[in-house]
Amino acid sequence: MSDSDLIRSARFRQEREADWIKLSTLVDKAENQGMHRLSFQEARDLADLYRQATTSLSIAREISLDRGLLDYLEALTSRAYLSVYAPQQRLGGIIRRFLTSGGPRAMRASWRVLLLGFLCMAAGAVAGYFFYFDNPEWFYVFMPSELAGGRSPDASTDYLHAQLYGEEDGSGLGAFATYLFSHNTRIAIFVFGLGAFLCAPSILLTFYNGLILGVFFALHVDRNLGWDLFGWLSIHGVTELSAICIACAGGLKLGLAVLFPGNQTRASALRAAGHDAVKLAMIAAMMLVVAALLEGFGRQLVQDQSTRIAIGWGVGALWLLWFALGGRERS
Amino acid sequence: MTIRPMDQLLPPEGVPLNFRIAGIGVRTAAQISDLLITGVGALALFLLTLALDIVTPGTAIAIASMLFFFIRIPYYAMSELIWNGQTIGKRLMKIKVVASDGQALTTQSLVVRNLMKEAEIFLPGTLLLTLDANQMVPSIISLLWIMAVLAVPLFNKRRRRLGDIIAGTYVIHLPKPVLLEDMSKATRQPVADEQKFRFLTHHLEHYGAFELQTLEGFLRASDRPKGPAAYKRHKETLAAIVDQIRRKIEYADPVRAQDQQAFLEAFYKAQRGYLEQRQLFGDKRADKYHAAQDDQA
Repeated sequence: MSDSDLIRSARFRQEREADWIKLSTLVDKAENQGMHRLSFQEARDLADLYRQATTSLSIAREISLDRGLLDYLEALTSRAYLSVYAPQQRLGGIIRRFLTSGGPRAMRASWRVLLLGFLCMAAGAVAGYFFYFDNPEWFYVFMPSELAGGRSPDASTDYLHAQLYGEEDGSGLGAFATYLFSHNTRIAIFVFGLGAFLCAPSILLTFYNGLILGVFFALHVDRNLGWDLFGWLSIHGVTELSAICIACAGGLKLGLAVLFPGNQTRASALRAAGHDAVKLAMIAAMMLVVAALLEGFGRQLVQDQSTRIAIGWGVGALWLLWFALGGRERS
Repeated sequence: MTIRPMDQLLPPEGVPLNFRIAGIGVRTAAQISDLLITGVGALALFLLTLALDIVTPGTAIAIASMLFFFIRIPYYAMSELIWNGQTIGKRLMKIKVVASDGQALTTQSLVVRNLMKEAEIFLPGTLLLTLDANQMVPSIISLLWIMAVLAVPLFNKRRRRLGDIIAGTYVIHLPKPVLLEDMSKATRQPVADEQKFRFLTHHLEHYGAFELQTLEGFLRASDRPKGPAAYKRHKETLAAIVDQIRRKIEYADPVRAQDQQAFLEAFYKAQRGYLEQRQLFGDKRADKYHAAQDDQA
């Protein structure tokens, strides 16, 4: 069929069809193998052909009534748009950037909510302490039995002492994993994720965690084992409990954005808060892994009271140093 | 025809692009396939370590708990990072996460939308499995919570769940470009040589773009191979359409049975050429009621 026989929109299509097909193969290649695998020539062609395709689409919308062609061009341009403007991000350097600047900066920027998170835990601990001395029965109310491991107001002092210094069953990798996925990790994840539901679940969970800590501590103080428990808890607890408080702060940030969005819409306030909140969550996750390592290996190997305290608070001080000094601009 | 929720995005080129928003159904399907794939994969790995008998039972349990931790948040965050917004389930369903501003997906947005998955999907899911009919208050609380979580995507236009809102993302159907033949080029000649269909302006005044594109759909479908029964039905439809068109446009010349397909194709080409020309002159005709609308105006 000769060209003159064709209607205008068919001629329009015939002239550009080869370019569209070329663009389609380039887009497939960019999606399957990644932009960085394209040669210079191909990358340049992709951008060029994409701009031509947008022009074609805008013309076709005006002059063509061919449904098949319009659908094709819509799909092709959208797909090409995604590979030109929203390509796969390079994954290299993400972790380094997070460690050297993103993480500590987010911590410093959200010191208010962090303070709130630590306050929740501390208030719970103080309340739990006084509850116990009011009536030791409260211990059974607050303490989940699987966490107590037989330690209760009815247990003998010798038993409690043995629990703090004795060999625990399971060691090395097994113990590490059990600790990592135990109570505290779950609490930390929930504390963060539930924060968006108006803060309340985060605050309650953190406060409750503090209560557990408080009654547990009070039990040992009652038996004159307070200092020993302090050492036993310090080695991993400094890191682990801080992690829960930090996760709580992340959750609070989200909840506060929902409650008090200011001049923004709630969705955009949430989005802005999410930026730092997710970094807090990642830091909490890192700290939990370190805490599990300390609990799984360190607590077995180090039986000496003062070394335990030194290690625990030393690691805590290192975290604090990282938060305080990491990612500062050199002037 | 079903109404497909679309979202419009304006790229720097200034030509608005339309993306089809992925609904609750297809996303649930993707989520379920992810759960199945990761669950079966983790179980297989665990059984393999048991079968190889290289580790002590204690370590095996440790490996199991790590595996089942990994297939929750880390799997989703990492697969979406590696495949630019697609998990294996999303790849199967041909859907994709995109940023709502149309820019590249950032690491933090992918991590946060999957962290929220724990509170939004896994926790209510686990609750649903462990609900106890005897405990009224926890049951009611968890029911309310599940309903609240489900309501969030239903009540916004882009079907975003809470994690999507925080991350500033939404999920679209990945458009699939298929280049179909131009129906105006594929016209066949009538069987009898002497007969050539001619359409005059008064023949082409009746229909609009909607009817033209419906005819285009029918012509595309008629090229597909079909069985004897379907062929008979197709012939009947063809005859009915030709009849209807001839009556409507008052086309006097008879059309023989073997030429009916050729008649429709010729009519399609003539009608499309005419409508496109009218459109160039600023006279857009959406459907056959265009004349009545013009009168009202």
